[in-house]
Amino acid sequence: MHYIWKEWKENIRGKGLWLSLSIIVLISISILFRSTALSFDKGFYVLLINLFDTIIYFIPILCLFIGAFSIFQEKEQKTLIMLLTKKDSYASFLVRKSLGLYTVVLVPILAWFFIYLLLIKFNFELDIKAYFIFILAIVTMSLLFLQIGAAIGSFSTSRMQIIGYTIFVWFYFFFLHDFILLSFLPDVTYESVKLFSVGYFLNPLQAVRMFLETGTGVYSLGHMSRLLQAFMWTKPAFFLLGNLLFWFVTSISTAIVFHRKEGFE
Amino acid sequence: MKKLLLFLFIFSITFVLHPEKNSAAENLQAMIDSLEEGAVLKLENKTYEGNIVISKTVTIIGSAKTVIKGDGNGNVISIKAPNVNLKKLTVTNSSMDRNSPEEYAGIKIHTNGNVVEHIKITNSFHGIYLSQAHNNTINHVQIKGMGKGEIAAQGNGIHVYYSNDNNLSHNTIEGTRDGMFFDYANNNESYENNISGTRYGLHYMYSDENIFKNNTFTMNTGGAAVMNSNSLLLEGNRFIVNYGNQSFGLLLLQANDNLIKNNTFYMNQRGIYIDQATRNSIEGNKISQNQIGIELWASSNEQIFTENLITENTIPAVTIGGSGENNFWSHEGKGNDWGASFPLTDLNQNGIGDFPITYQSSLYQLLEDQELSYLFLKSPALGIYEKMNAALADEKVMFTDPHPLAPAKGNTNLLLIVALGLAAGLILLKGRQLLCITFGRNGRKT
Repeated sequence: MHYIWKEWKENIRGKGLWLSLSIIVLISISILFRSTALSFDKGFYVLLINLFDTIIYFIPILCLFIGAFSIFQEKEQKTLIMLLTKKDSYASFLVRKSLGLYTVVLVPILAWFFIYLLLIKFNFELDIKAYFIFILAIVTMSLLFLQIGAAIGSFSTSRMQIIGYTIFVWFYFFFLHDFILLSFLPDVTYESVKLFSVGYFLNPLQAVRMFLETGTGVYSLGHMSRLLQAFMWTKPAFFLLGNLLFWFVTSISTAIVFHRKEGFE
Repeated sequence: MKKLLLFLFIFSITFVLHPEKNSAAENLQAMIDSLEEGAVLKLENKTYEGNIVISKTVTIIGSAKTVIKGDGNGNVISIKAPNVNLKKLTVTNSSMDRNSPEEYAGIKIHTNGNVVEHIKITNSFHGIYLSQAHNNTINHVQIKGMGKGEIAAQGNGIHVYYSNDNNLSHNTIEGTRDGMFFDYANNNESYENNISGTRYGLHYMYSDENIFKNNTFTMNTGGAAVMNSNSLLLEGNRFIVNYGNQSFGLLLLQANDNLIKNNTFYMNQRGIYIDQATRNSIEGNKISQNQIGIELWASSNEQIFTENLITENTIPAVTIGGSGENNFWSHEGKGNDWGASFPLTDLNQNGIGDFPITYQSSLYQLLEDQELSYLFLKSPALGIYEKMNAALADEKVMFTDPHPLAPAKGNTNLLLIVALGLAAGLILLKGRQLLCITFGRNGRKT
């Protein structure tokens, strides 16, 4: 509880959270403006998909930075040492700090998207279930990258290191992971497609996108070929859950095992 | 006291039993049979039991809540006389039997010159079946299928079989197997229909010289599939968000001499998919924000693409299975407007670019060999993949447009700019102190 309040106070006075929020607000409004041109009954889904495709460029990197710098600030201001002597376990500190981060980042985002829903109501016919799935997609993406950011903050010892690791992680998920899969793509056969599918859905961006598009009904999974059916061997929601679980466990364990208590400028 | 109670009890039973329903459920078939030629029958706000066969020229008009419910063993309404008129009915519950030699429907029309309008059809195998029925008019019909991508257990919204010169307009079809299926049906006209959630919104097989204009196809597995049909006119239609793994806005398969004009293809998996088709003319369409704008298999020859706006697609056009050199990307000196991804100079201001545009890509092999490549079309890694393969000289020419069109002068969103300017002005004038307190250093060192 105290962690949440402390996190809130720190972030309200800092620039990071406000900058990220204003970017998201600006993007949402400009996409709404652009979409008013196409007014027909399915315009709502088009708006959501366009919005998601644009936001996906910003939320991962912003959450990574917020998570990493928040943990690093503890080290920098030497408060980490103080907290650890009190509790004496990095794991419990990390869990509480993460919960604080989630709350502080998610509450403004959820508030904004609630207001956004009211704005959309003027132009389009709403589908609440689809909007809920959209919110869920954004929330899971933010949580995941916040956690990875926290891991990066835990084992870095200087700001330059944080920036370097963050950009590398972002670059990996955005380009490298899919590029590696594309190189293997010509060799995928019916036998190896399940392995390929695991590799494909390990990228949180693809898992979230598939979840959103099938959940809103935009991407129809009907009439699948045998290969595609073998590829989608379980429901997209489960792929997303598996992905979340994998990256949460990986980032938390990396943070706990490799953490450093001191930070230098 | 007891007598009063007994009386009240029997009286209240009549409320529960709805005697109006049973006593007034006249035999609709009997009513129709007793009509004279050319008579008008007005039905009331209740449910009539089908199935009915109309063997005389009559007009049947329902009220707001008239329902004709079939018995599940055949067609609900069969029209076997010409010039019948059906209006304002809800038709439901035809047979869903897949083992019978006949395909059942909500309304099955065997004759000519009928008018079917303002009807709602649910819970039937096919919605309306035109069987060798010509010159009929079907408009403002709403057909709702089972949805959920079910294709075996249900039929099509409107099935047109060996029937010519019909007019189908302003219908709304949702969730059936195919929206409208034309089988050996020529010279039909389809205007302003709205089809969504089906397998193929329009499915043309061996049906020539039909016209379809101003229809809207959204969220189907395929917008319109034109197979083995020639000399069609498709104008002003909108193919929007047909976006499954193998989806397309328009498919031309073994279809020749069609004219595809002024349509909009927006946010489909593939805008136009052309396979084994010849001499089609594709002009004035707007193809934007699709994953693949035009997918052209090399088995297709002599297509003409001119005056289209092809912009903001992940891949503008791709030629698969060969070199496709026999297709023309300009006609009479006018090519296509390829949008911002292909910068153009137009120094003599004649609206036509000064040099040809050639697009090369290495993705054709991947798309041809491996169907899972469509899953990567939205990934930013695709750009890197193309650039790397360009460096390895692994590319092929997808198209060459000798006379690309210069982009039309668009007007930027004036309202947005004014709003932003106003917001900036307001902040600078009134909010500087607040800005300072929130974002400033306020004496802090870090």
